[in-house]
Amino acid sequence: MSGTLGTALRVEVLAWRRSTVRRVATPLLVGLVPLASVGMTALARAGAVAGPGAAKLADYAVGPLAGTHLAVCGQVLSVALLVGAGFALAAAFGQPLADGRAGALFGLATPRGTLALARCVVVLGWAAACAAAAVGLTVGLSAAATAAAGEAFGPDAWAAAGRALVAGLLAAGLAVPFAAVATVTRSPLATVGALIGTVALTQLVVVVGAGAWFPYAVPSLWTGTGGPDAAAAVSPAALWLTAAVAPVATAAVVQQWRRLTDV
Amino acid sequence: MTALLLDAVRHAFGGRPALTGLSLHVDPGEVVALVGLNGAGKTTALRVLTGRLRPASGTARVLGRDPGALDAVTARRFGHVVGTPLVSPDLTVTENVRVAALLHGLPARRVGAASAAVVDALDLGPWTGARARTLSLGNAQRLGIACAVLHRPAALVLDEPTSALDPRGVVLVRGLVRSLADDGAAVLVSSHHLDEVARVADRVVVVHAGRVVGELEPGGTDLERRFFGMVLDADTADAAGTAA
Repeated sequence: MSGTLGTALRVEVLAWRRSTVRRVATPLLVGLVPLASVGMTALARAGAVAGPGAAKLADYAVGPLAGTHLAVCGQVLSVALLVGAGFALAAAFGQPLADGRAGALFGLATPRGTLALARCVVVLGWAAACAAAAVGLTVGLSAAATAAAGEAFGPDAWAAAGRALVAGLLAAGLAVPFAAVATVTRSPLATVGALIGTVALTQLVVVVGAGAWFPYAVPSLWTGTGGPDAAAAVSPAALWLTAAVAPVATAAVVQQWRRLTDV
Repeated sequence: MTALLLDAVRHAFGGRPALTGLSLHVDPGEVVALVGLNGAGKTTALRVLTGRLRPASGTARVLGRDPGALDAVTARRFGHVVGTPLVSPDLTVTENVRVAALLHGLPARRVGAASAAVVDALDLGPWTGARARTLSLGNAQRLGIACAVLHRPAALVLDEPTSALDPRGVVLVRGLVRSLADDGAAVLVSSHHLDEVARVADRVVVVHAGRVVGELEPGGTDLERRFFGMVLDADTADAAGTAA
């Protein structure tokens, strides 16, 4: 298994490095998240946004500057990593089934289940690297902004950075079930539809007050999207439940690809 | 031992019969051509033989093993192109061939030499740095075949391997298939081109209505007439059976 997994990882890393989805998504995740974090905080504090947008940004207008930057970073990452990794997995698993390339993966010395495992690992590794880079860049921008404002980049900011990183990792892990959806539907577009539907469903679950236990709402609520009270309502058990989605879904996807037929 | 075997295989798609008790075998060192009209069941049979489709009943074997659950040792001796090949459009020709070598289980130290040999054999040298998505249909087909044979399989299944090739490409693939068989490989090729299969095959198996209805001698000049005669006889026999 270890030999074939090594081969599968090598092959999947190369395939992912060359993929168009990676080339498009990486700069968006790594570049836009820090800019959004610092930019939205700056807009809120400058009072430059009027109307409904101002109400949305009101929480960013107060509190320590660096801590706010990193809290916004966590909130944006909670959605951006889910969507980014979800699109990536929709393409990586759905496209070969849609265009027939998956059929060529039968009868190989490297089993399909091992290739599916490697594909999940590579996309999650890429998503984790994007999350780390986005948080790192936000820390850098925030440190520069707080220094310019004469404020300190204190322990609360570092804590928020850690929370943003964990939220990003959790969000990326929540994308793995969409690899299973892509395998069932054999369509990247249908998978993206399911992803968008899940994001919409999450909004409804939060509105009715059940978000603290709904894995797709947990990272966002935990980083303060619903306010401090909603963040405090997210228990460690809910965080562990959310973290468990990725390994359980990965095991399911591996099993799906082992049993794949009619390709 | 028979290297490729289908025995009494039956399958239907949504109630429409695709295979109705198809049986065939290919022995080591033999090239067998599978010919038939569109919808005769050729590709479905090859999908069963490559493990991509579990038949409703019947037996499929590749080198004595169930193709749906090939162990790594057997898989290293098997190659196939049925439909879309083992080619990623985002990778270059060289990268695709090297990836195929790794996935077929070649040791890392042999990947370079095996890749270079197959690129040379299929005359893909001028395109080694080109992304697969930029290749012409014919070059893409040659790349797909390269990715299926670079490990010199003992059992090989090819579906319409020359459908997009120019005459030179046809000669290259024909030579490659013949050399593999001469080395002891069992090769099963499906094709619509009767003249082409007559040149490469040791046996020509006619598939019609989901089953084998006979075999044709590859030699001679009237292969087409004999093929249609066999298909007509099968239809006539089926009609008589239905009427009775």
